[in-house]
Amino acid sequence: MLRDELIAGEQLRETESELRGRWPTGADADFEDAVEFHESLPGHKRFAEVLESADDPLLQPRAGIPRLDDQVELLRYLETEGGADLLPTTIDSYTRDNEYEKAAEGLADARDSGDDTLNGFPAVNHGVDACRDLIRSVDAPVEVRHGTPDARLLAIVTLAGGFQSFEGGPVSYNIPYTKEHDLEETIEHWQFVDRLCGAYTERGVRINREPFGPLTGTLVPPAIAIAVMILEGLLAATQGVRSLTLGYGQVGNVVQDVAALRALRDLGEEYLPDDVVATTVFHEWMGGFPPDEARANGVIGLGGATAALARPDKVITKSPQEFQGVPTREANAAGLRTTRQLVDMMLEQEIVIDGIDEEQEIIERTARSLVETVFSHGDGDVAQGTVAAFESGALDVPFAPSDSAAAAVLPARDDDGRVRVLEWGDLAVPDEVKEVHGARLDQRARTEGRSRSFRMVADDVDAISDGKLIGRPTASDGDTGGPGDGVGPQGGESDAD
Amino acid sequence: MARIGADTHMGQTVILGVIGSDAHVVGITILEQALTAAGFDVENLGVQTAKAEFVSAAAAEDAGAVLVSSLYGHARQDCQGLHEQLAEAGCDAITYIGGNLAVGQNDWAETEQTFRTLGFDRVFDAETDPEAVVASLERDLDMTATEPERASVNT
Repeated sequence: MLRDELIAGEQLRETESELRGRWPTGADADFEDAVEFHESLPGHKRFAEVLESADDPLLQPRAGIPRLDDQVELLRYLETEGGADLLPTTIDSYTRDNEYEKAAEGLADARDSGDDTLNGFPAVNHGVDACRDLIRSVDAPVEVRHGTPDARLLAIVTLAGGFQSFEGGPVSYNIPYTKEHDLEETIEHWQFVDRLCGAYTERGVRINREPFGPLTGTLVPPAIAIAVMILEGLLAATQGVRSLTLGYGQVGNVVQDVAALRALRDLGEEYLPDDVVATTVFHEWMGGFPPDEARANGVIGLGGATAALARPDKVITKSPQEFQGVPTREANAAGLRTTRQLVDMMLEQEIVIDGIDEEQEIIERTARSLVETVFSHGDGDVAQGTVAAFESGALDVPFAPSDSAAAAVLPARDDDGRVRVLEWGDLAVPDEVKEVHGARLDQRARTEGRSRSFRMVADDVDAISDGKLIGRPTASDGDTGGPGDGVGPQGGESDAD
Repeated sequence: MARIGADTHMGQTVILGVIGSDAHVVGITILEQALTAAGFDVENLGVQTAKAEFVSAAAAEDAGAVLVSSLYGHARQDCQGLHEQLAEAGCDAITYIGGNLAVGQNDWAETEQTFRTLGFDRVFDAETDPEAVVASLERDLDMTATEPERASVNT
């Protein structure tokens, strides 16, 4: 039965040895040999040390293309021309789906055609030696960034390959990233990943783990993201992870974003064990981007400004070409430089903004309630409680494609652009919090002269790419007033599928 | 006008899904809402839907249209053979695809041509409004409908 308990060493070795047989490159992933390789790396390539000792927010882009040489060249470019402090290697979507055959086809196609036919670096197909070539060829620490529900083999290969940070977690890489993976099984798979990181940690190689804060990346209420970060942090700590970076994705309202990052840091310190070093990462806007590089730079700039105010340990940057998918290396470096300019200009200013404390208080109260409901759902066991709370809907994520989540929660922005909850489903939140959200959304409905409805949600999803924060009705919408409006108050939506 | 459509489209099932290993769910969630509001019977297969699942759903529902979504760039590999399989299953549904259809920064005209050649009747970029899809579907499905369009029942 699934429990939040340390996996025994013998079981770790058995599972590891079975997994290494699943794809030919697994054979090269020898743990002792890997520890030796990690020990050979200089201090400036040790992820946890670099991140935890930094005074100012470090910048990191996303980047992954299929061929090794191209990936090395891309990372070097982002270091020299973008000024990236930390480097990524983003994994392609077939590998994320454990479809190594399809990834092999895509990689072969990339090698034949010269095109980037995969949306990332298929690290399992490349294998341990290629990963080590990559780590040797760059001058900064490198993280594996992906979206893989069952990331066990990917972790075995990439950690043996010299990567020192590994993104993801059982909730954050299941609920937003898959339809069919069972949550209980995903938690078991991530206990293995965390235990493997813990095994390296015991040997002095402190692998950094980064739960994926933005979740579905679209209007996620901060308290939900924070609760998930705490739960994944606790699960990882049980398996021996000692360097954890908790994440949060920008929603675009400055007060709410600063409040959320402060709440994330405070609750992380409160809930995680003392022997864990917890840091925070702020993701620039993860939703739809404007189809115009100049406007996209504005969105990125707001992210940089917010980061300077909230001072997370790390910022994941976006590029001005985000709207069309994987950016050119020039655009990717530009996103880094735009962010740097804003951060550096604002970091030394003392800027006081009203309302942050109040917002932080309501976020913390809501997040606490969600974490506590998981504890009670599992009779004190976080693993059991997480499964049970998603099952009951007491914990939920908007727009979740996973069958393991109710996806009954629907967010919308209030009149100030802060993300509130329009439909609660069965989310375990105190009534007084619901009343605050309700009142704020009513205020918006009055301002716009229309009823609260799914239409607001749809308008908010498009708002930033359309050039605004809040999806207000426009003159051309014509019939958006009143309850007779064809969309109606949230009728058909019961599940994101 | 949506209410007129609401009746004329009854029985015209539209199959919707995100193909391949892609998990981008927000777009089809919103599209599902818009199509349902416009009166279509929508069968949303969700994210990470295999080609074969599109084909069997389309055949089982005698679908009027199959709408494929892809945001992660692997659409060309994922859609190889889709139209041949639909034809083998005896399905003559019109087919749309929309999203970010290739990895990287591409020439749209070229991308559109690639997917037209694969057999899609319409190809949409990621900036398409749901209303534009509804309008196209109303036009395309009315053209293929055997019954003459009824007069407005919207009294």
